[in-house]
Amino acid sequence: MISLVPLVVLIPLVASALALIVGRRPGVQRLLTIGALTAVLVISVILLVVVDGDAPLVMELGGWEVPFGIVLVVDRLSALMLVVSATVLLAVLIFSVGQGLADGDSETPVSIYYPTYLILAAGVFNAFIAGDLFNLYVGFEILLVASYVLITLGGTEQRIRAGTTYIIVSLLSSVLFLASIAMIYGAVGTVNIAQISERMGGIPVDVQIILHVSLLVAFGIKAAVFPLSFWLPDSYPTAPAPVTAVFAGLLTKVGVYAIIRAETLIFPGPELNPALMVLALLTMVIGVLGAVAQADIKRLLSFTLVSHIGYMILGVALGTAAGTSAAIFYIVHHIVVQTTLFLAAGLIERRGGSTSINQLGGLLKAAPLIAVLFFVPALNLGGIPPFSGFLGKLALFQASAEQGTPLAYILMAAGAAVSLLTLYALVRVWNLAFWRPASDVEGYESDLLANVSEAPGATTTQVNRTTPKLMTAATAGMVVVSVALTVFAGPLYAISARAGENLEGPSYYVDVVFPGSNDE
Amino acid sequence: MTILLAVFAIVSAFLPALAKILGRRVFLVAATVPLAAFVHTISVGPAILRGDEVRESIAWIPDLSVVIATRLDTLSWVLALIVSGVGSLVMLYCAQYFGKDEKHLGRFAGILLAFAGSMYGLVVADDVFVLFVFWEATSVFSYLLIGHYTSSKTSRGAALQALLVTTLGGLVMLVGLVILAVETGTSLLSEIIATAPSNSLVTTSVMLVLVGALSKSAIFPFHFWLPAAMAAPTPVSAYLHAAAMVKAGIYLIARLSPGFAETPSWQPVLVGLGVFTMLLGGWTALRQTDLKLVLAYGTVSQLGFLTVVLGYGTRDAALAGLALLLAHALFKSALFLLVGIVDHRVGTRDLRKISGLGRREPVLATLTVLALASMAGLPPTFGFVAKEAIFTSLLEGGEAGDAWGWIALVGVAIGSALTVAYSIRFFWGAFARKKDVDPVGDGDAGAAFMFSPALLAASGLVLGFLAPAIDDAIDGYADSVAPVEGEGYYLALWHGLEPALFISAGSILVGILLFVARNRVIAVQERLSGVPTADGVYWQTMRSIDRISARTTSLTQRGSLPFYLGVILLVFVVAMGTALALNGTWPAAVRPWDSTAQVAIGVVMIVAAIAATRAGKRFQGVLLVGVTGFGMSALFALQGAPDLALTQALVEVVTLVAFVLVLRRLPARLGHRNGTGSRGIRAAIGISVGLIMGVAALVALGARTADPISLAWPELSYIEAHGRNVVNVALVDIRGWDTMGELSVIIAAATGVASLIFISGRADDETKGRRRAAKAEMKERRIQAKAESGSDNPRTSWLLAGRTIAPENRSILLEVVVRLTFHATIVVSVYLLFAGHNAPGGGFAGGLVAGLALVARYLAGGRHELAAAAPIDAGKMLGAGLILATGAAVVPLFFGLDALTSQFWEAEVALFGHIEFVSSTIFDVGVYFVVVGLVLDVLRSLGAQVDRDLEEDGTARSVMPEADAPDTTPQTERTVS
Repeated sequence: MISLVPLVVLIPLVASALALIVGRRPGVQRLLTIGALTAVLVISVILLVVVDGDAPLVMELGGWEVPFGIVLVVDRLSALMLVVSATVLLAVLIFSVGQGLADGDSETPVSIYYPTYLILAAGVFNAFIAGDLFNLYVGFEILLVASYVLITLGGTEQRIRAGTTYIIVSLLSSVLFLASIAMIYGAVGTVNIAQISERMGGIPVDVQIILHVSLLVAFGIKAAVFPLSFWLPDSYPTAPAPVTAVFAGLLTKVGVYAIIRAETLIFPGPELNPALMVLALLTMVIGVLGAVAQADIKRLLSFTLVSHIGYMILGVALGTAAGTSAAIFYIVHHIVVQTTLFLAAGLIERRGGSTSINQLGGLLKAAPLIAVLFFVPALNLGGIPPFSGFLGKLALFQASAEQGTPLAYILMAAGAAVSLLTLYALVRVWNLAFWRPASDVEGYESDLLANVSEAPGATTTQVNRTTPKLMTAATAGMVVVSVALTVFAGPLYAISARAGENLEGPSYYVDVVFPGSNDE
Repeated sequence: MTILLAVFAIVSAFLPALAKILGRRVFLVAATVPLAAFVHTISVGPAILRGDEVRESIAWIPDLSVVIATRLDTLSWVLALIVSGVGSLVMLYCAQYFGKDEKHLGRFAGILLAFAGSMYGLVVADDVFVLFVFWEATSVFSYLLIGHYTSSKTSRGAALQALLVTTLGGLVMLVGLVILAVETGTSLLSEIIATAPSNSLVTTSVMLVLVGALSKSAIFPFHFWLPAAMAAPTPVSAYLHAAAMVKAGIYLIARLSPGFAETPSWQPVLVGLGVFTMLLGGWTALRQTDLKLVLAYGTVSQLGFLTVVLGYGTRDAALAGLALLLAHALFKSALFLLVGIVDHRVGTRDLRKISGLGRREPVLATLTVLALASMAGLPPTFGFVAKEAIFTSLLEGGEAGDAWGWIALVGVAIGSALTVAYSIRFFWGAFARKKDVDPVGDGDAGAAFMFSPALLAASGLVLGFLAPAIDDAIDGYADSVAPVEGEGYYLALWHGLEPALFISAGSILVGILLFVARNRVIAVQERLSGVPTADGVYWQTMRSIDRISARTTSLTQRGSLPFYLGVILLVFVVAMGTALALNGTWPAAVRPWDSTAQVAIGVVMIVAAIAATRAGKRFQGVLLVGVTGFGMSALFALQGAPDLALTQALVEVVTLVAFVLVLRRLPARLGHRNGTGSRGIRAAIGISVGLIMGVAALVALGARTADPISLAWPELSYIEAHGRNVVNVALVDIRGWDTMGELSVIIAAATGVASLIFISGRADDETKGRRRAAKAEMKERRIQAKAESGSDNPRTSWLLAGRTIAPENRSILLEVVVRLTFHATIVVSVYLLFAGHNAPGGGFAGGLVAGLALVARYLAGGRHELAAAAPIDAGKMLGAGLILATGAAVVPLFFGLDALTSQFWEAEVALFGHIEFVSSTIFDVGVYFVVVGLVLDVLRSLGAQVDRDLEEDGTARSVMPEADAPDTTPQTERTVS
């Protein structure tokens, strides 16, 4: 079983190398990519079952004993993240294959797309299993550099401009992350997360806070926590639909994942929790206000993405097992549903020729299937029960109420308000793009939408009568997965809850990496 | 019950498909499901009447204590009967109401049935969260049903409004429910009510729950969505907005009343808002001209009425309230269905345009009278029975010394008068003969059409006579609210000459007078029209939310990268600055430097860095940044890390080359700065970031207590990895996994550069045109060139540049030197690669040296020379490198070892002597390949391809025709298809 652990990174990398070698044969590349991600998905599921049933898996790479080498650690949280991200990556891949086939590969340079996509996947998987802070950085770098390539795919002016913002901000976050690692190494003399956790206890609390803050700023940029989040809505929406979908679904969540690890393992103390809660509040509120002010669906979704990061931060900031569990469940939910919505937006763009609700209309009549594929995840994101978005909020609310501090209650109230505003923004899309007859489209005017500069990436593509079956199927598959999260919420939440309990205090994780070190 | 819920869900999912075959008869299929629920509810009736409960429970999310628990007690049973009974009748009615070729019937039927299922679920749910699930489900289905006529802007707006208002209430309620569940430790409604703790937190949460109930049941200030929701098809109004959904809030009030009626502010809130809503609704109904709106405001009024009575909290009021709830469901849904028939028959619902319908449709008129009588509370209808009971119970309360009893009594008495008045107005509007209006013509409303309303209207009458039986059925609920000693009130048609009877009579009389004076009432209302309405407040709120959103967003989303970076760095400065300011642990002693050379290098680096920010030209900036890099390299060297120093220096060189290649395409001067004012701020931020980073590092290092793990590395490297170069062993073995990851980073970066360069050349149609022109020109020059040189065998030339680069750009000396040293350099690179394990070098440095050899070939001889030097696809090179590196990680797995575990072999071989081989060398070869691939890719894209673009732009004069070049070129470029 243990040998499966490194494979989740190695398989995509080997496949990427092979895809580069067969460069001029897109068919082979496609098969390689799909095969690799399917294999990772299968392995991830096996890992989840094993880890949930037994104990976490630890691999000491190169046979170097901890803490001298790098360890890979798969605990429940890691395994869950692996399964979800592999699912999402595979679905988006199939979607993009469908899109590429239909477009005759004229827009997307496939010979680059597949290897880069695989490298991105390897980076995401690596980040989730890294048991070493520097290796976590490497995981981030892998996925970031791959994402630089994907976001500028096609090299149009808008994408280059958006890409510039994205790349420079990401580089800044990487620099800060690296500097934080250096300082942490300076203080504790190790980069092994479990050992950092052990040794951090011996560091004075005020110095801990300095290290903690610098790490949080770095992760906060990656996770798009307010006010470090402004770059996101300006860069994501311009990329090709599948790329945006996978970025929105996964990349910020890797940041949130890192925050969870930082808060539970490296700095489990409660000192910064109130500050994090305030940031969670601001992220939720400012983010959703951005969504309300958008006319472009992709841009709107990017703002809801920022806003809902706030929910996850809330869960982490509570500093309890219940809060962490809720945050984990919310991450799983949000990865799936946000990706699904972006894929649905891709379908809308293809069918309606635009993603601006000022220009769309009559889609319910024209494309009832796309309507369903948008409506269900939209309700889900808007927190309408019984969907997983509601369950996630319910869990967060319960965790907040259990904590019972005034700040926790304020965050509950804000969470409820943000949920309503999310619903408002999404249902307005439904009203205008789906219900409103196409013949009425020109008359729509709104002073609010006039105030906000139009999405820089509001590209108008050609209206297509048909949508490739593969694109629709991939989106439908994701909708099914999102509904399955609801139906199987019982067992899923049980895993999240166990994962959250494992992270209550660092001792569980540390004992796994250093067996027998805590025999007192 | 759960099975029934599943049937609701499954059947509604299939209805759209069925509708394609059955047309509007699909409603007959739909009606069977609520009918089944009705029959089931009836069948458990005896048990419920005995006081038993029917419970079912399926675990859903045990960790959040969400259980699909259902429970039928008296209250749920009554509501389940209403929901299922009225539901099936409305669906039967739909089969007549819609035209044969009406569109989207399947969708409508599916949603309507799904709604019925959710409503059924809502009244039987015992878990608060499951209750909330159904609660919100009804909101969503109501949204979809109100917006059924999607082409109408009004109905879309009304749908959105109803959804937002009820969801707002719903979410507030959810917060309340969560707190209640956490406080009581259970999510079961029955247990929460049984525990019913009282403290300020519970009071707050109960109030929050009430907000949800009031918004759902259209109580002031949330009432406005209900009249707007009349944009829905009439059967929806009859079912959702009269009988079922709007009762959800009332149901919840009734449900909580047994446990929480004593909560402070429960009674004032419910009685106060209820009375106000009742009066407001009744008053507004008096001036409506659309028959449906008369009913809608009437419903608002009646919902207020129900809130007062069921919120009042005594046993008798609860009994009376439940009776009124039943009566209301029957008469109001009947009336809506009748309006639908009138609408179909006359073609309008405007009461000013209908005249003489009573004579044409006596049956319709009679049914309407029946239903209206119950609404107005005339004997012997069930509405009368309920109203008598209400007056008596409120009077009891008032006499017992409760001020709210008197308020409630006076309020509902006036409200009843208004009810009588708008009931008469409704009848007059629909059926009376009016002057100046043409009477309606011939026609037939149809008997089948009238079946459902007839049944509903008639049951209002029948139940009046069955009052004692109803009393038996529902007093179980009343007793649960507040048990009384002795005999409580009972429902009956005749209670003797009680005060209630006189209040009834009085309100009827006032009602008639109000109708008679209807024109004056309308005049008064018009004079009051300046008062802000709740609806107006809603629209203002929405608009200000939109405005605030737009303003906040334009404030934060400037679209300016410097702004975003500034904010991020400012956050860093403020957060870290605060943390440092609060820090009390400072290093006891600081050793500022090890040698003065460090200081000198440091100063140079600082100066270069500052100068780089002030550089006016790009090239200047690049060079200055390069200085900091070489400074770093020097610091490594001083620190005793020759390997790092070497690699860093090589990296700087390659970076510089790449920059220079790119700079050819960019304007020499940096863009003008935007605003001098911000420059000071930027400088301040930059300096603060640097200082804070430095101080933080100092503090962090000063706090070190444990030995760093790297102290063990030299020994580990030598003993276990058989390498004397710790840096190399760390790279390829101890932390080889990182290196592998970074290799993929390099590959992605190289690929990205290629993707951008090759794509932009291809996508630009304009250059294509120019390219053709340039090619034509080149062809001409090629012929010329051939003629001049007299040679037609280009392959034989040793220095290719002679054929491809214009003489003034050549340096023969350089070309020759490069050609002569090339192979030697490659050999050195390979040496570095293999020596790396024990001496400075390694795959990275080796690869860079090989890369520099290629750079030299390119710089000296141009792109054709490069192609000749490395006739291989860069992508394949990168791929092969990664295969080697990952292979080194994968292979040990097959032997059951950890990934990347290295093996060591040594042997004595004749002639060669002692030979050692460490398997991690293979990994290092992979590194070498990837680095060479990267350099090659950069040269091909930023070098060769940019050359080509420049040539095509006509800026390069030193062009020799492409076709003249040796054959090695065409297939080696990495192409992007």
